[in-house]
Amino acid sequence: MENNKKILVVEDEISLRRALSSKLAREGFAVLEAKNGKEGLEMALSAHPDLILLDIVMPVMDGMTMLQKLREDAWGAKAKIFMLTNLSDTNKVADAIMQGSYDYLVKTDWTLEDIVDRIGKKLG
Amino acid sequence: MKPQDSEIFYKSLFDNMTDGLAYCRVVFDAAGYPVDFVYVRANKKFNELMGVKNAAGKKATEIIPEIHLSNPDLLEICARVALTGEPEKLETYIEPIAGWFLVSVYSPRTNFFVAMFQNISDRKQIEKKLENAKIAARNVLEDLSAEKLKAEIAQAKEEAILLSIGEGLIATDEKGDIVLINKTAEKLLDVKSEEVMGKSIDQVIPIEDERGMPVPPESRPVNMALAGRCDRCHAALGINYYYARKDKTKFPVASMVAPVILDGKVIGAIEVFRDVTREREIDKTKTEFVSIASHQLRTPLSSVSWHAEMLLTGDVGKLNKEQKKYLNEVYRGNQRMVKLVNALLNVSRLELGTFAVNPEPIDMVDLVRSVVDEQKKQINQKKITFSLVFEKNIPAISADPKLLRMVAQNLLSNAVKYTSEKGKIEFSLSLDDGKKFILLKVSDTGCGINKYQQDKIFTKFFRADNAREKDTEGTGLGLYIAKSIIDQAGGAVRFESKENIGTTFYATLPLAGMQKKEKNTAAD
Repeated sequence: MENNKKILVVEDEISLRRALSSKLAREGFAVLEAKNGKEGLEMALSAHPDLILLDIVMPVMDGMTMLQKLREDAWGAKAKIFMLTNLSDTNKVADAIMQGSYDYLVKTDWTLEDIVDRIGKKLG
Repeated sequence: MKPQDSEIFYKSLFDNMTDGLAYCRVVFDAAGYPVDFVYVRANKKFNELMGVKNAAGKKATEIIPEIHLSNPDLLEICARVALTGEPEKLETYIEPIAGWFLVSVYSPRTNFFVAMFQNISDRKQIEKKLENAKIAARNVLEDLSAEKLKAEIAQAKEEAILLSIGEGLIATDEKGDIVLINKTAEKLLDVKSEEVMGKSIDQVIPIEDERGMPVPPESRPVNMALAGRCDRCHAALGINYYYARKDKTKFPVASMVAPVILDGKVIGAIEVFRDVTREREIDKTKTEFVSIASHQLRTPLSSVSWHAEMLLTGDVGKLNKEQKKYLNEVYRGNQRMVKLVNALLNVSRLELGTFAVNPEPIDMVDLVRSVVDEQKKQINQKKITFSLVFEKNIPAISADPKLLRMVAQNLLSNAVKYTSEKGKIEFSLSLDDGKKFILLKVSDTGCGINKYQQDKIFTKFFRADNAREKDTEGTGLGLYIAKSIIDQAGGAVRFESKENIGTTFYATLPLAGMQKKEKNTAAD
């Protein structure tokens, strides 16, 4: 099923990136992949995806930095973002909320189905 | 007195004397040397002493054979007196007749002498006994002083050992006053023996907990030992106590205290302690390692989890029944590992103090209800009779909901896991009498905790034997985490349990709530 929504997956771990992309593609999303914050930022600003799944700990540029830079952009300030991480640390959540990203998923605690559900709700 | 009467008088005197008396003539050899003497007359007593009928006319060598050998002095002195006329006295032992004699010799005319023999054997025997007694007494005294010396050396050795032992050592009397402190303790605590001797250990050696608060005297291991509240009081890594020095620096201490018991009475306490700064550092490094390793593990765990999920949901083609079954095993095993890694991570955060505490007003009743809802499925599956009892008007407290949720989850899931089908569980919330604490109580009719393992139940990774049988997948971290959180909140956890009857856990939470705490390090 095609839904014309574009999702950018920014994740350095190839196996996780692939799992997310293939699940999302199967659900009908158009998927873009980036392997660090720098790539992710460039793609986001040029392709304007409907939603970004953003890992936090990454080489070259980490997720928090990419988020910060994205929020400086007019389009980026309103972009829908799910922070996606291994960490379940409340302080990081607080930071993410301060940056205007309201969703925060801990990878090990979420199934792909749940993530897809969550994205579906977010995009209406 | 007539001459005749006089003779009778002297004869009677002579014969009735209590000393032996002999009138003798010296016998010379051809060269004019005295070699013997002849008894001219001897009185009755003399004959009696010498054991002869009548010595008169007999030679000395006949009466005392070998007199030359046994009493050469007697012969010599008698001859000298007979020749010089100077009287002499001697004490001599006459061996052939086995007696001691005081012999007084004088000479009435040249070559003759009179010897008076007084038997002093009794006196000599007493003297001998006295001498023996003296020797015995001296020996005893010598032995005693040797023993004393030995004891002193042994004591000095013991003291030297105690004083130079590599661990700090402090001994107190029954009041807790210091009676001994060794060199290591002086060095560790930066005190001089003379400053602290005889003074109360509570006053001169301050003890603090990890928050820098003074440990109340009744919780101090030495006082617990003195009060008879423990055979061996440990304050090791489990309890984080610090000894504070005069200059306000402090060090973490591992100490062991034993009461000194004499005739069933506690007469003092001995504390052996050491600085565990280094151990703490190693422990911290270990915990950091676990934290980092856990983070690293979560990425591959997510990968396995997601890929297995896609296979199971048929995203890449339908699986047959057997494939599905096997893959379910993979998925379940992976989930178990996720749980373990999460628990390990929580433990390492608690131990590193990197756990952030973000208090917000929370209603414990709501929190408990939602924890129960989460586990309702398992409770119903086992047909457990479950009751929730809330005291009215339990106020909201300021606490970290995530942390308290973990406590409630752990206590309840244990009760559910270890209670058999159709058992009973009650979860209640109430206020203590002083209205200072909220009391969480979770009681079950489960398998209980073996008496011999009860003291280990809050130990990291410990799992009781019967718990292992009932639930093979537990991590042994739940109660450790729950207790750590409650401890940090200033509350306490305890339990009562009987094997095969059931267990009740009690956790107290101060109404004062939890203090906000930022995460210490950026390990995440």
